[in-house]
Amino acid sequence: MIVVENKSAEDILKMVAPYKKILVAGCYGCVTVCLAGGEKEVGLLASQIRMAREKEGNPIEVLEQTVERQCDKEYLVNFQDKARDVEAIVSLACGIGIQYLAQVYEPIPVFPGVNTQFLGANLDVGVWEEYCMACGECVLDKTGGICPIARCSKSLLNGPCGGSQEGKCEVDKSVDCAWHLIYDRLKALGQLDKMAEYIPAKNWHRNEGPRKLVKEDLTLEQ
Amino acid sequence: MLQMQARSAVIYEELDVFPEVLVIGCGTEGAAAALAVSENQPVTVIDHDTNHDGLSLIKGQTNITVNAGVKVVGLDGFPGQFLVSFMENGEYTKKSFGAIIVALEAQSSYDAKKYNRIELGERILSLSQFIKKDNDYSRQKVTFVLGQADRDSISSYATALSQAIALKEKDADVSILYYDMKVSADHLEQDYELARARGVNFLKYEGDLQILKTDVAATVQYSEPFLEETEQVKLVSDYLVLPEDYVAHPGTADLADVLDVNTGPNGFFQEDNVHFLPIMSNREGIYFIGSCHGPIYGVELEKEIETVKAEVGRFASGKTRVASLQPQVDAEKCAVCLTCYRCCPHHAIEIVHDESLNNMYHSAARMNPLACRHCGICSAECPGKAIQLPNYKDGQILQQLSRPPKIVAFACENSGTLAAELANKIEPELNALIQVVPVPCSGKIDALYLLKALERGADGVLLIACQKENCKYSRGNVRADQRKELVRKRLEAIGLEGDRVDIVHVAANQGNQFNESIRSMVARVNQLGSYPGKVIR
Ligand code: SF4
Ligand code: SF4
Ligand code: SF4
Ligand code: SF4
Repeated sequence: MIVVENKSAEDILKMVAPYKKILVAGCYGCVTVCLAGGEKEVGLLASQIRMAREKEGNPIEVLEQTVERQCDKEYLVNFQDKARDVEAIVSLACGIGIQYLAQVYEPIPVFPGVNTQFLGANLDVGVWEEYCMACGECVLDKTGGICPIARCSKSLLNGPCGGSQEGKCEVDKSVDCAWHLIYDRLKALGQLDKMAEYIPAKNWHRNEGPRKLVKEDLTLEQ
Repeated sequence: MLQMQARSAVIYEELDVFPEVLVIGCGTEGAAAALAVSENQPVTVIDHDTNHDGLSLIKGQTNITVNAGVKVVGLDGFPGQFLVSFMENGEYTKKSFGAIIVALEAQSSYDAKKYNRIELGERILSLSQFIKKDNDYSRQKVTFVLGQADRDSISSYATALSQAIALKEKDADVSILYYDMKVSADHLEQDYELARARGVNFLKYEGDLQILKTDVAATVQYSEPFLEETEQVKLVSDYLVLPEDYVAHPGTADLADVLDVNTGPNGFFQEDNVHFLPIMSNREGIYFIGSCHGPIYGVELEKEIETVKAEVGRFASGKTRVASLQPQVDAEKCAVCLTCYRCCPHHAIEIVHDESLNNMYHSAARMNPLACRHCGICSAECPGKAIQLPNYKDGQILQQLSRPPKIVAFACENSGTLAAELANKIEPELNALIQVVPVPCSGKIDALYLLKALERGADGVLLIACQKENCKYSRGNVRADQRKELVRKRLEAIGLEGDRVDIVHVAANQGNQFNESIRSMVARVNQLGSYPGKVIR
């Protein structure tokens, strides 16, 4: 899941300072699951914005709405009645949703209400951890199912480095050394020989520009 | 001050349930429970690696199946329809039960350190050794030493008293050496009087005891509080009886984990909670009886068995009727995020998949009517605002806040609203300044309610919760504490005073404290002035 964190109210208030009527737009996808951009959070932020502006003697009208997913235009359509009526939108979806919303509703200004953090697992209520960096060329088969790109502080493909101590990472002692975890897991799997296997440098194909995935066999007629 | 809400008519559901009850633990306590329950419905008793003292009592009884060498390793489902996984000779099996009774007996352990390191022997017996031994004590001098071990429980007192009375009948010379005679339980006072009348000697000691032993006698040396300090009394007996400490069954933590029930002080089953009946767990349909939740004596155990028999009796017919008061989920808003499932203190929520559920997952959380205790914690946690608790829907709560006075107090109905009623009688003048909004648990107080109260015109808001560790729903008041913090931060983030939000922990009878906290909140907001974030048009 995509994990996001709420932006500070101060930042958001600055973004909406010029406006008198805005929409706070939530998403029922990842950001609801990570407790940062669902209907509840939309309500809390809207209330904060209203109260802050009252205090300044500069009232603002804040509409609230949450749709299924902001990364699909069919769901974005549902904002149209309210969007037509406001001067700006604050989106609480991830960076994807925010951009897509801005694209669909141009020229209404769309602002981010969250800082999109990482792709992670929800370990418990209120706890998330990064597990994948969408590198585009997965090596989990060689690393016992533990991602060295996301979970090693240096994204080493052939670790560990000399800074691994008692299972902890030299960059931050509270972080588990991913390569130590990989070693333990491979040992448990009886695949320690994979530790010796050299993993060649990855093709970070960002040099071809932003990534795009088109599955020709699935696309509808052009 | 207190607005009563119109409650909607209650709808009842009739559910199919399994009548059979599982008793975990095959000691005398588990066996006694099984015998009682089997009068109404079938029972399976498993030993779960514990003692088998009760086996002879239940073997061959109709309606009782005994399964030795079996351990519970998993639990699914809800009351009336539990699916229990067992490990039996290295193999998994599964079976359905309506309810589960935990009877893993506590174990007594003699702690020599409590008795100046004297070891047990022929003349010095632990209380449980004494009970098991069938000696002839006529004309023998027997002394019970109370107050050294097992200090806080009443069961050694009860046992020693009943044993002393019985010994008297066999013409023994019996003394009870005590530090602080505990008789504050049913029948104990009478037993104490009876023992006195029968001629048991009650002797009070102070400070440390010395125990000395020879082959023919055992001696306790102690200070008498009524004599000069330097003088020590020597009491020579044929037999000394020393109570042990009771410790939780070693399988307690593991079983608690499997059943997802809470443990409490000293690692026994059941959390320390004034709202709980002795047999209750944090989950409906799972009960604790006997010493698994702490040392217990005969009369108490009988009462517990009676209660549990009545509780599980609801399922005896294979059908049960239950009020549909559990929260309802709007599938369109449910992101299946699992937050409610993880936060419910009573394990009452499941995620169900059904094509008729109107969201992209065709799945949603569902609350089980038999397992749910209607605290509303889940509804306050849901990030999608998908959960509504009957009679306490968001709309119903917010509707009460159309024109709030100076202070809005969201109050738990187990403590806060009761304290508020009392408070109102003591100081009716405060009435005009506050509005009390009842909620079933402080964990139901949504952060949104707090902001809305301020937005709509209150100058300060209070969360009135039960005393720490006394939440009827285990952790609602802890969540309330966290929400207070969250809302304070949200206010401070927009340059407003976080102090306008506070939490007070009260008990139902603390009317004065309630008024005290209202007065201090009033004083605080008077000093801060009218809330500048009001959005009233
Ligand atoms: S917009 Fe972002 S947060 Fe919402 S569903 Fe899509 S990816 Fe997830
Ligand atoms: S290697 Fe790591 S970052 Fe790359 S796809 Fe696999 S899990 Fe994701
Ligand atoms: S907390 Fe709300 S959104 Fe999450 S699973 Fe429960 S009902 Fe669904
Ligand atoms: S109301 Fe309370 S007991 Fe019922 S499902 Fe919600 S959290 Fe669980």
